[in-house]
Amino acid sequence: MPDNWSYVFAAYGLAAVGLLAYWRHLRGRAKSLAGRDPRSRA
Amino acid sequence: MAVRALGWLAALALAAGVATAFGYAPREAVQGNVQRIMYLHVPAVLTAYLAFGLVFLGSVGYLLTRRPGWDRLALAAAEPGVIFTGITIASGSIWGKPTWGTWWTWDARLTSTAVLFLVYVGYLLLRGMIDEPDRRARVAAVVGILGTANIPIVHFSVKWWRALHQPATILGPEPSPIAAPIAVTLLVNWLAFTLLLLYLVAKRTEIARLEDLHAG
Repeated sequence: MPDNWSYVFAAYGLAAVGLLAYWRHLRGRAKSLAGRDPRSRA
Repeated sequence: MAVRALGWLAALALAAGVATAFGYAPREAVQGNVQRIMYLHVPAVLTAYLAFGLVFLGSVGYLLTRRPGWDRLALAAAEPGVIFTGITIASGSIWGKPTWGTWWTWDARLTSTAVLFLVYVGYLLLRGMIDEPDRRARVAAVVGILGTANIPIVHFSVKWWRALHQPATILGPEPSPIAAPIAVTLLVNWLAFTLLLLYLVAKRTEIARLEDLHAG
């Protein structure tokens, strides 16, 4: 069976992009909340 | 500080996971190198099961105690659970094309996994639709508990119905038939994904606590 490296890299690349995007979303959300006064409503 | 340390630990474990998947695990005799997708696919689904188990725990904890911390745990686990299920479906589909000759088939395992994904996407959408915190947490807890019932259906679907998907090679009733280097690589990646899940849950829980604080 051929090695199909393009499929392997596509799978790992897609997973990396998804996880990285979620991590960046969390980091951005944490930063915006940390810089806000808790008494001011969201 | 502990969350940051957990994040670094997860990053190191993920690097070790990729190194074992591409540098230690042998080329599989029948499938060739495309089998290396399994070091992503299998740990992803096991981590998704764990995440939804945490949703179940948080949901039961909330209904029993009405403490918002349990609800925050359920929310914090549901989001990465959906992502890991998405990775499972995408990586399985990418593996399926060269191996089965198709991106997708309505096989019992694939269909039940897609249902699992949609249930928890629905869980997150539902949370976004209810403004009142107590009612949101209560309704979400019920859905979180009911959604977990799908996990044994996904896992045992390959036994209960005729499926194209192979039966369980790990977490099955028989001793695993896979070779030691493949098993070790799976284990390293499973551990890495578990650490990553714990990190993401800890970070998301902290964010949810701050959100509650700001919402008053």
